[in-house]
Amino acid sequence: MQPHLKRVFMLLVIAIIGFVFVRSLIVPDSFGEYGWYRANSVNDIRNFPVKHAGSASCGDESCHAAIYSIWKDSGHKTVNCETCHGASGEHANNIRILPTPANDSRDFCGLCHFKRVARPENFPQIDPEIHGENLQCTYCHNPHKPWFV
Amino acid sequence: MNVSRREFTKIGCRIIIGAAAGSAVIESIVAKGTASQDPPGDYDWNAHYWGYVIDTRKCIGCGRCAKACKLENNVPFDEPVYRTWVERYRVLKGEDVKIDSPNGSIDGFDDDIPAEEVKKAFYVPKICNHCDTPPCVQVCPVGATYETKDGVVLVDYDYCIGCRYCIQGCPYGARYFNTERKTADKCTWCYHRITRGLLPACVQACPVGARVFGDLKDPESAVNKILDKERINVLKPDLGTKPKVYYVGLDREVK
Amino acid sequence: MMESLIWGYIYPNEAEIQWSILIVLYPYITGLVAGAFIASSLYHVFGKKEIKPVARFALLTALSFLLVATMPLLTHLGHPERGIEIMFTPHVTSAMSGFGYIYSFYLIVVGLEIWLSFREDIVKKALNSRGWKEVLYSALALFSYDISEKALHEDEKLAKRLAIIGIPSAAFLHGYVGFIFGGIKANPWWSTPLMPIIFLMSAIVSGIALLILLYIASMKIRKHAIDHKCLHSLAHYLWIFLILDFTLEILEIISMKYESLERIDIINRLLSDKIATTFYGVQIGLGIFIPFILILLVGIIKNRETLKMIMIAISSIFVVIGVFAMRWNVVIGGQEISKSLSGTNTYVPVFFNLEGVLPAIIILLIPFIILSVLTYILPPWKDMEPEE
Repeated sequence: MQPHLKRVFMLLVIAIIGFVFVRSLIVPDSFGEYGWYRANSVNDIRNFPVKHAGSASCGDESCHAAIYSIWKDSGHKTVNCETCHGASGEHANNIRILPTPANDSRDFCGLCHFKRVARPENFPQIDPEIHGENLQCTYCHNPHKPWFV
Repeated sequence: MNVSRREFTKIGCRIIIGAAAGSAVIESIVAKGTASQDPPGDYDWNAHYWGYVIDTRKCIGCGRCAKACKLENNVPFDEPVYRTWVERYRVLKGEDVKIDSPNGSIDGFDDDIPAEEVKKAFYVPKICNHCDTPPCVQVCPVGATYETKDGVVLVDYDYCIGCRYCIQGCPYGARYFNTERKTADKCTWCYHRITRGLLPACVQACPVGARVFGDLKDPESAVNKILDKERINVLKPDLGTKPKVYYVGLDREVK
Repeated sequence: MMESLIWGYIYPNEAEIQWSILIVLYPYITGLVAGAFIASSLYHVFGKKEIKPVARFALLTALSFLLVATMPLLTHLGHPERGIEIMFTPHVTSAMSGFGYIYSFYLIVVGLEIWLSFREDIVKKALNSRGWKEVLYSALALFSYDISEKALHEDEKLAKRLAIIGIPSAAFLHGYVGFIFGGIKANPWWSTPLMPIIFLMSAIVSGIALLILLYIASMKIRKHAIDHKCLHSLAHYLWIFLILDFTLEILEIISMKYESLERIDIINRLLSDKIATTFYGVQIGLGIFIPFILILLVGIIKNRETLKMIMIAISSIFVVIGVFAMRWNVVIGGQEISKSLSGTNTYVPVFFNLEGVLPAIIILLIPFIILSVLTYILPPWKDMEPEE
């Protein structure tokens, strides 16, 4: 082979070796442990903080045991505490951090209970125009143990 | 023209930096040594295979799921990006079908069409299907998105290059671009919760049990109880993505 | 504002169009590269002597555009500094993952091809100049100055082999760009096996047209007569590839309409409303139909060389614009329809923005600057300006 061609191929080989070397330095160690991805990323995601502690955590350790036991037997037992009272993950870990106050506006109750055409018919719904004279829902209804007046 | 000039410089810099891809770049990626913390509790991902059932007949369109999801996963409230959302389908008497999902259902739905004009109407919650053959994972050029052993499709936020090919590749519009992280992002089925024994935030928030989450490997799980009994369907089955979100009461209009 | 841009229902996450004008540029630029390279191989491989004047110039053009092909991509990435991962951990199931390697391989092929075909000139300049020029050209010659008959013959042999490898790799470089879109089953407008070959044909068309324009322009700037035989030959190939390109593009539309699958309603809406002008008007009408007629006339008209040159130039300008419209219609058009198949969105390009029109214009201008530098260092003019 001609010397100039040898040189150009030598350059190419050096470039490829350099690339392989740099690659071995940079690719994360955990890459490919389970599949074509960085295995450590699974743990990174598992370590994300939990923001919604769940209703069960409210009733535990006799913090809100009284109201919890009322709610537990009510028609609203499927409604998670945090749906109205705000995410309580931080509050459950440190009671000094208070969750956002409960939303007790008419419109908030209406998200579930205003009459809507697309809602299943057997679900309890009211017509906001004629029901309750624009009073706050909690004036008549106990959100922790709803009943029909 | 202050702003435009600044923008101009920024653009110029970006092009130069991008084209050069020099030593600074390599250094910034070399942060490979940082071993990640051990996650809390013991969890064996070989023992589980997660699945999700949505009963559209139960959904009341309150949108609490979409709200809880954004809170739980730090999804910006002021951007049109959603990990889960609720769609409303209204088949009008003139055979027209009106579909919408204002703000992903977070603020609920108003009846902006009089009930007399509507023939039938229903809500359909949507979420990442965590497909068994995920097209988004297939198209990721660098291996920054993957399916875990327990069947959840995740994004590696420290590895994603932000090309957005996966967003194009998802047939369900379940992926979005996270403008803060500058990477693709999506529903994780609250992987940080389910691996701690909790339910996904959207499932926990649903007041009517329209969303059910459970282990497909456990014959007694909540999802298997429904799958064994009901007639179920998945979204866009013809695309061969094999979704693991199963629907009860799916209408033909739902895509 | 937002509402008026949206028709019907789009998935909430589709409110933002993800791939901007920069991603329109990327297949456009790689297309020009592939086209220019294939034009040069008409001489290097197939021995078409008429093309010889522009053969080396075409290689320099290909390299100039190839060097900027990564720019629109890197500018668009959320994390450009992580872009190299595509070479370190390429995920083989992804159509996009091949980019790094295919691009690098092609860059090496084009670089070597240029080096070999210019080596005689480089060595002569290295021996006959002083100062920084001597250093530059000696380095380019790799400090090896053998330009004996035998050495040049070896070079030629290798160059021909490289050009033979180069054609499939040029076709692959661009065909695979088509597959990036054609392989996306989620998108009804992209998903077609014809996409790679459509991209390839339009690439060749745009590359030849660009070469014609650059040839005419550089001869005008250098005030030298144009080799009409070469020009007509290029126009002839342009015409043939235009026909192939048109056949495939229209075949795609016809089969979509004929099969009328579930997606047809939204495709019809796209074609008749969203991209009607850029598709029927610019891509087909301006970009294919008019050039087709004009070049046909060039073949018929006798003598009148200046008129024919103007007709060829106009055709080439239209082709270059038409192919840009084609890239636009694919990349933007495909994102304007919702994957819910029941709505459309509208892409509004911004000017001053990282993803805007201004960086696109800048990126599109850089290859011409590179080309002028390259032709200064490695002048291809003696092929194009024969001693009369």
